[in-house]
Amino acid sequence: MIKRSLPIRIAFYAALVIGWQAAASSGIVASELLPGPYEVAQDIAYGIGDGSLPIGVATTLWRLIVGLAIAIGVGVTLGVLMARVEIINQTLGSLVLGLQSIPSIAWVPIALIWFGVSDAGIIFVTAVGAMFAVSISIYTSVRNINPHYVEAARNMGARGTQLIISVLLPAAFPHMISGFKQGWAFAWRGVVGAEMIFSFLGLGFLLNVGRHTVDISQVVAVLVIIMAMGMALDLALFRRIEDHAMKRWGII
Amino acid sequence: MAKLEARNIKKSFGDDDYSLYTLDGIDLAVDAGEFVCIVGPSGCGKSTFLRIVAGLDVPDSGEIILDGQKVTGTGPEKIMVFQEGALFPWLSVSDNVSFGLKINGVPPEDRQQISTRYLEMMQLGQFARYYPHQLSTGMKQRVAIARALAMDPDVLLMDEPFAALDTQTRYTLIGEMQEIWQRTKKTIIFVTHNVAESAALGSRVVVFGNRPARIKTEFRIDKPRPRHAEDGSLADIQSKILAELRPEVKKQGDLDD
Repeated sequence: MIKRSLPIRIAFYAALVIGWQAAASSGIVASELLPGPYEVAQDIAYGIGDGSLPIGVATTLWRLIVGLAIAIGVGVTLGVLMARVEIINQTLGSLVLGLQSIPSIAWVPIALIWFGVSDAGIIFVTAVGAMFAVSISIYTSVRNINPHYVEAARNMGARGTQLIISVLLPAAFPHMISGFKQGWAFAWRGVVGAEMIFSFLGLGFLLNVGRHTVDISQVVAVLVIIMAMGMALDLALFRRIEDHAMKRWGII
Repeated sequence: MAKLEARNIKKSFGDDDYSLYTLDGIDLAVDAGEFVCIVGPSGCGKSTFLRIVAGLDVPDSGEIILDGQKVTGTGPEKIMVFQEGALFPWLSVSDNVSFGLKINGVPPEDRQQISTRYLEMMQLGQFARYYPHQLSTGMKQRVAIARALAMDPDVLLMDEPFAALDTQTRYTLIGEMQEIWQRTKKTIIFVTHNVAESAALGSRVVVFGNRPARIKTEFRIDKPRPRHAEDGSLADIQSKILAELRPEVKKQGDLDD
């Protein structure tokens, strides 16, 4: 399905870039407000050349990976506990629901006070901004497991942690992927947002630099990079895992 | 002494005002090596009874005695085959079969050997590396039976395991199940709502009545094996079972099939 729509998609983006270039060249939109794709591409090339973009991308990515790993670790643990232990669901579960409604950026003041301007602070915002959404999603996936799997396993003598690791988690896995995807989306927004406020390296920082130097093409260049990375990760990683899991688990 | 004994098992569902599917004092003794089929209209509680024997459900009162010991939970000595197989889709066929062995700490080389033995018994030797989604419903159910046998349980509990199969596959499995029973000498309790199936498989057929579920009557069937579901010699016993069952199905009214 992805393959068949590929030519259409390429045509769409080509048309978008051409239209954008035409608008920029014709002078309808002032170049100080919206630079053309050529200028943006030049800026990206320049950023790659002087190393600022690769370093920015690498910094943001490692913060994202660490933050997301923490979010998934905590989220899966919390989610499974909430799904399996009713008292935890009644108590912690309701708290998690509340915490989940706090936007990532709102954690920045606490992160600054606790960790100062540091990687740890940004990772904190990334992780905390994503982990509660992950918990809730994992909770739902574990709750919706086919009860026959659990019964068959109990029937053969599986108990406690063994039951969780060898049955609950794999049984919930295909649905957990959507939780991971959600976690990634929250973490990605969190990390870039935090970087803008912390102004301490990374893509968010580069956005801020562009703003302070009124370099609109740098701002747009970084936005394009952020978007492209998001799309690439979604397609290359999550979509692939999901397709594979759906097939193996017999869902499609 | 009976291998397995159910003593006055009672269980009700629903709330105080409207309780549904009641087991009302089930007494049943099963000897070692017996093949007991339980037939009853759907929804009469026969599956619930089996789940209580397996230790998956707890009765309101009464007890299950296995080898002189009261059953208090699940355990490898009584293994259930579920209607939908309940194979783990993330494990290969051979890992599915050895799952219970792994849980119970059997070393890998033994697991491999046991899993191969039972897969071959179920004629699935060449499918060991397949995944459940690549198998037909009948093959999945064979894997589920192999998985249960691999645990070497004293009692094999089967909850309408052939209900989702087409007639052809069901007849084949009815034949295979008798072979397995004769080879392994397991004690089997097999729940079904299919009269022909029960008459072909059971050395004893127990008829459950409906609302409340009590044991209505039972038949011993000594016809030579292997028996087929459509054996003419079984027609007589089948019609006797049906005659017992018919008023029970009627009692059910329009609640289900």
